[in-house]
Amino acid sequence: MAVLIFPGTNSEAETVRICRDVGLDAESVHWSQGASLPRYDAYVLPGGFAYEDRIRAGAISAHDPMMDYVIEAAEKNKLVLGICNGAQILLEAGLVPGTGAVRRPTAAFTRNAPSGKFICKHVHIKLCADPARCAITAALPDAAVIPAWAAHGEGRLAATPEHLDEITSGGYLAFVYAHSDGTVDDAAVPNGSALRCAGLTNKKGNVLAIMPHPERDAWNFNHPDIADRKAILAPSGGATLFRAFAKALA
Amino acid sequence: MLHTVAITLKIPDNIAFSALSALRRLGVQVERVERADIWQFAGPASGDDVAASVKRNESLFNPNKHALELRESPKPQTGEAWVSTVAATYAVAPGASAAAVHHVGWRLFGKDGMPVAPATLKEAIEKLLCNPAIERAIT
Repeated sequence: MAVLIFPGTNSEAETVRICRDVGLDAESVHWSQGASLPRYDAYVLPGGFAYEDRIRAGAISAHDPMMDYVIEAAEKNKLVLGICNGAQILLEAGLVPGTGAVRRPTAAFTRNAPSGKFICKHVHIKLCADPARCAITAALPDAAVIPAWAAHGEGRLAATPEHLDEITSGGYLAFVYAHSDGTVDDAAVPNGSALRCAGLTNKKGNVLAIMPHPERDAWNFNHPDIADRKAILAPSGGATLFRAFAKALA
Repeated sequence: MLHTVAITLKIPDNIAFSALSALRRLGVQVERVERADIWQFAGPASGDDVAASVKRNESLFNPNKHALELRESPKPQTGEAWVSTVAATYAVAPGASAAAVHHVGWRLFGKDGMPVAPATLKEAIEKLLCNPAIERAIT
């Protein structure tokens, strides 16, 4: 598995670490080594501020040569996960929801509302589609609730009403924001995201884009209400998604 | 009255350079890109008062690195596109009661040093400068 590093990516270390913790053979791939990407079975686009979010979050990265390989891999049904800035890149590249042409986005994760400010908040995301709808979530239980950290200024799903309808009717909505007990309401949504969206998949279900960071709640020391201080290095809830990813590649 | 203020960088504009590089990679025939923050204010204040108000707003204007131009036309220049987030309206200028609308102005120039043709500008908008899901571009 390749964890891509664009100029400005900043979450590759913890992403590689949790992928390895769940048994994946993961390594980071620097933007100067993009030509090596075809040899990998799966790809993770981690969080950060690739190209300083110039023009729009993910806009320049979506046209980076590395994305040529990722787009080709996605078309060959390889698995692709984008987290936070990685998710923004996948939407700008048109891979998710993928209802338009490649690199012709039909949706975006854009400026939070109503505050417009960057948020850093512990959240929970709930699987709202059939787990089998997306290969990466196939091993998750139905309606799985996963803890994560929302850390973004531009995490609000936005699209035209027609495209939002398309996302709903086509089953592209993978995760919504929820409370820890799994209840879903507007109070659980930290950023005004349309459809309460925290994650989207594509038509084939081999690409997943999620805004919050499960890799930042992957060990107990990341979790805000850790009960057992002696087990601070034990896996936390965010690791669940990566275990499911590993099963999809097994 | 509608007043149009363009704020540009006096120092090298890395964002414009990134846009130029990406556009070239996408095959758009462009040699230079200029970027400006375009603010439009509707209200009874004079243009000079609006400009002075913007200059006092430290979140919009830093005299060490910005230049401010009060434009005569409320429309983009030749070879220029204004891209704005849909329904992005903010009240920003202290002392100015009117709301302001923000655009990012992208002006593209070709090999001859002249603004690019409308077809080239349209290509740049569609390929990179505007995400139609959340933005609108006017030329």
